[in-house]
Amino acid sequence: MNLEAFQNRVLPAKNKLFRFALRFLGNEEEAKDVVQEVFIRVWNGREQMNEVENWEAWCMRITRNLSLDRIRSINRKQTQPIEETFDVKLETLSPHESTEAHESMQRITQLIAALPEKQRQVIHLRDVEGYTYNEICDILEIDMNQVKVNLFRARNAVREKLMKINAYGL
Amino acid sequence: MDSKNINALLEKYWNCETSLEEEQQLKAYFRGKEIPEQLKETAVLFQYFDEHKKKDLTDVGFDREVLQKVKAPKDGKVRKLFYNSMRIAAGIAVLVVATFLVRNEVRQSNPAPVEDTYDDPKLAFEETKKALQMISKSFGSAQDKAKKINMFNEAQKSIQKEETDSNL
Repeated sequence: MNLEAFQNRVLPAKNKLFRFALRFLGNEEEAKDVVQEVFIRVWNGREQMNEVENWEAWCMRITRNLSLDRIRSINRKQTQPIEETFDVKLETLSPHESTEAHESMQRITQLIAALPEKQRQVIHLRDVEGYTYNEICDILEIDMNQVKVNLFRARNAVREKLMKINAYGL
Repeated sequence: MDSKNINALLEKYWNCETSLEEEQQLKAYFRGKEIPEQLKETAVLFQYFDEHKKKDLTDVGFDREVLQKVKAPKDGKVRKLFYNSMRIAAGIAVLVVATFLVRNEVRQSNPAPVEDTYDDPKLAFEETKKALQMISKSFGSAQDKAKKINMFNEAQKSIQKEETDSNL
């Protein structure tokens, strides 16, 4: 792969990678750093790329691994109270038109943030990015069954909360 | 799409039986304005997915930065080889100097033993003879000195005897 192909084919995936890294890190600067590192790794490993079936999933996998590494090193350096990380996540949301809609959006954000890590990743990859189940298997390095179970649980947790909101206005 | 269809599709969605296309249909539907009251919250969920998909890396210089980093030539192969071999050479040099110094130190503290003649009996015999002769020669001269002392001793004894005799 030459530089031109890299620029035209790989670099445009930056937003997907960025969103995925942001999902883990909750901090745009950190996420940007991770994406940059991913691209450098992809470039250095470009010979391998011909063997990789789905290079985008491959990039996403690297993003995930680097993000997890970074989380680990951040946790080693300092322990952040969990509320703080939640706040950061909320800030990354763009404001919605009306306050009511904004409130509902915040509720959904909190609801999804409260999901277990794996479920959050799966629901992001499927419902935000629109990846196929096979691609999600590739990215998260888990089997199809795990993908489906996690997605099912995530969606059902969301559904239950939505039903409660509808019923009691909570 | 009527609400009956939507409800059926949503049911499929909750059960994870929808295809990607069907999920796109749902998203498209919930982007619309006419959504029944009971689906308002569900609509927000799909809007949330849409919103998150819009979140982009807004840094304008990002591509350029990455390309620059990627293009930056790494250290040349020759330079790398030279650098590595220099490192090895430095390691070996340190080892050689250390061995040399340690050897010198050891040599100084244990001087080399005298050359022996155990291998050649004849030479050994000669050497032993020489040594014994030297000892006997020393003994000989010592005997001469001892004789003189003896003479004094005897003289002293005879004087003492004469003195006691005269005292009697």
